[in-house]
Amino acid sequence: MHHANHFYGHAHVLAEYCGLDPEHPPRIEGYVQHGWNVVDGLGLGTPYLPGKPIFVWSEQTRRRAWSMGRRQATVIGAPFLYLLRFAPPPPDPATRAGTIWYPFHGWESQQVKGSHRRQIDEIMAIETGPVTFCLYWNEYRNDKVRAEYEKAGRVICHGYRGYMWQDTDIKFLHNQLGELRAHRRVASNRLSSAVFYGAAAGCEPAVYGDPMHLEREDRAVAERIRRQWPELHGERPEPAAARRSALAELGEDYLASPAELRAMLGWSLDRAAVPA
Amino acid sequence: MIRLIGGEMPGWNEDRPPAGGALYGYLADRLPAGARVLVAGPHEHALIEALAARTAVTCLVRSQPEAERLDAAGLDVLCGTLSKLTEADRWDAVVAFDGVGRLCSVEGPQYDWAECLRALRNALLPGGLLLLTVENELGVHRLVDPAAATAARTDDAWRSLGEFDDSMPGSPARLTDRLAGEELTLDWLGAAWPSPAAPTLIATPEALRTGPADALAAAAASAVATAYANRPALSDPRRLAASAVRGGIGAELAAAWLVIAHRAPRPAATPALPPVLLGDGQVREVAPGPDGAWPLPAGRLLEELLLGACLRHDLPTVRRLLTGWMAALPAATPDNVVVAGETFTRLDPGVPARADVLRGFASTLLTGGYAHPWPAATDLRTLTAILHGAAGLPGDVPAIPPGEDPPVPDSRREQQEQMRALRRLLADADARAELYEREIAKRDAELTKARVQIATFGGTFGYRMAKLGYGVARKARQRLRKRA
Repeated sequence: MHHANHFYGHAHVLAEYCGLDPEHPPRIEGYVQHGWNVVDGLGLGTPYLPGKPIFVWSEQTRRRAWSMGRRQATVIGAPFLYLLRFAPPPPDPATRAGTIWYPFHGWESQQVKGSHRRQIDEIMAIETGPVTFCLYWNEYRNDKVRAEYEKAGRVICHGYRGYMWQDTDIKFLHNQLGELRAHRRVASNRLSSAVFYGAAAGCEPAVYGDPMHLEREDRAVAERIRRQWPELHGERPEPAAARRSALAELGEDYLASPAELRAMLGWSLDRAAVPA
Repeated sequence: MIRLIGGEMPGWNEDRPPAGGALYGYLADRLPAGARVLVAGPHEHALIEALAARTAVTCLVRSQPEAERLDAAGLDVLCGTLSKLTEADRWDAVVAFDGVGRLCSVEGPQYDWAECLRALRNALLPGGLLLLTVENELGVHRLVDPAAATAARTDDAWRSLGEFDDSMPGSPARLTDRLAGEELTLDWLGAAWPSPAAPTLIATPEALRTGPADALAAAAASAVATAYANRPALSDPRRLAASAVRGGIGAELAAAWLVIAHRAPRPAATPALPPVLLGDGQVREVAPGPDGAWPLPAGRLLEELLLGACLRHDLPTVRRLLTGWMAALPAATPDNVVVAGETFTRLDPGVPARADVLRGFASTLLTGGYAHPWPAATDLRTLTAILHGAAGLPGDVPAIPPGEDPPVPDSRREQQEQMRALRRLLADADARAELYEREIAKRDAELTKARVQIATFGGTFGYRMAKLGYGVARKARQRLRKRA
């Protein structure tokens, strides 16, 4: 349907949950929301085929999509939560240490503006334990930016998101889950999918610091996000409330059974042979 | 014996069936034995004969052939029009379950509702009882009727007033006032569904006000569901009847009101009736026990709970209801199951089991135009498969058993909605086809370019050089020819 369905190995995780081959997920009859956003769940500029479902993470996103004219938004919850359903059990909490920090990232068409150095100084002043910087592939591949972070701590990247079904790291979310489970805290300078995933994986979430900004970004949206989810912002938000809010955004209560999900995605056994 | 009183209609047969059914039979049976009873208007013979077996009965009908049939059954008959009753014609009780619409013949004065009531009152001896059905012109059966009562063109509609008969009462309260105006004291009033001609549910306004609203709403929905199976309607009468009862205006929107009233002085005994009567064959008396508890299944109709949860896009609740339903009563249709907390109870155990209840509910969602959590599933098969999964049932696509969906009201509103849905589907399909065509054109251009590139760079070096040379030579020859 659309190559964004394969971003971060989402289709692969859903296929594994449904008992299908995770290496070769069948074509999804619709659009899976590939990242947390405050619009209709679709990525920017996704060419939408009228009548096809948008599989969004939360009921709130569905309502927003409806108000934007998207009548076929269907809540399934975030693929990351499906991964949690079949992933190995989490390790002993005592083995968790430090913070995994996700700096706000750019992508092919928009780069981040702001001082990484200043941000690193602020992070190191606030975090008490060791800090792992998890860079998006976009920044990770930038030697100059990566070197800045490497001076302050361990630097990792979960993998490549994928593009046009090429080079997708189908274990992206698995890598991310493994790293999140090794840390006590998850933090970022922007509320994002990673912060929600961290909360779902048992980290205490926090969003603080210079939010930086993207080239040509509409900054009013970032301010709206801070107003709407204050419980997730701050250096040390109250963990229980932050976790509740994060799970609601990921659609924790809306996950479908494998049989229901197969029927929704167009993966009924008689149709599951259609390749992506 | 037939007595022709004047205004009789020779060769006339009523267009519509007479009043009847188990509940009317039950009410007639409550009349004291030994009373002299006038049955005014067309009634089922079974009802009249059962009454005549207990007490002295006289029938009043305008149709002469009907009078002859009653006479043949050994009944005492007055044949003619209502206005011909005289002061000598007096009874201990008058039964008019058919209402007053078929008491006047074409001959003579055409009484409106109030005048008919007065004539019936005059036919009572002091202390006499009147059992009367009053059609509600704003009843659910009228509100969903695709045809207006005033547009009737049947042979019996020579003076069809519908709601334009200003003398009719519009509510139970006004009906009580009108009776009092005729010096009739109300003993009992019940609201009736699904139709004035053959009610299967009668409940007092008090029961509707203070009784179990959800259970009574379910009973009202069930009563109209049976009556409207496959029948044309403007909108779904089940939803209207149920929401009226739940909303506290059940009695005001009931199809009819049934009254028992007496003429002074108060008779020694008036029929003692329970607050709720149910029954299509077997009559069930329903009244609260000494502890105030009603013997009706507690809870709300599953179908309404499911629809409500779907409209709210409350997937966790939808899944919980579907799962509970399939675990407890997998062969009961959702309009025959009430849910209280985690308890699923069959409303009417007499309704036959079905193997395709999930498909039936999917069909309700689709044909009813209800918003639900899977809006892109626009075909019955996919939506049924999704519901199957959401109900936690094993397996993938269930084989849909052959057979038809359960008969439901054939509602115009739902037909309109289906038309809108089909138009939306067509528009979406058109838009998709256009996008696909554009995409194919783009890909074709890319393919052509790729083929040229492959042709240019494919093969050995010698082959490519020879091909290039051949191409250049061909171009040069073409140019030379053009110049020449």
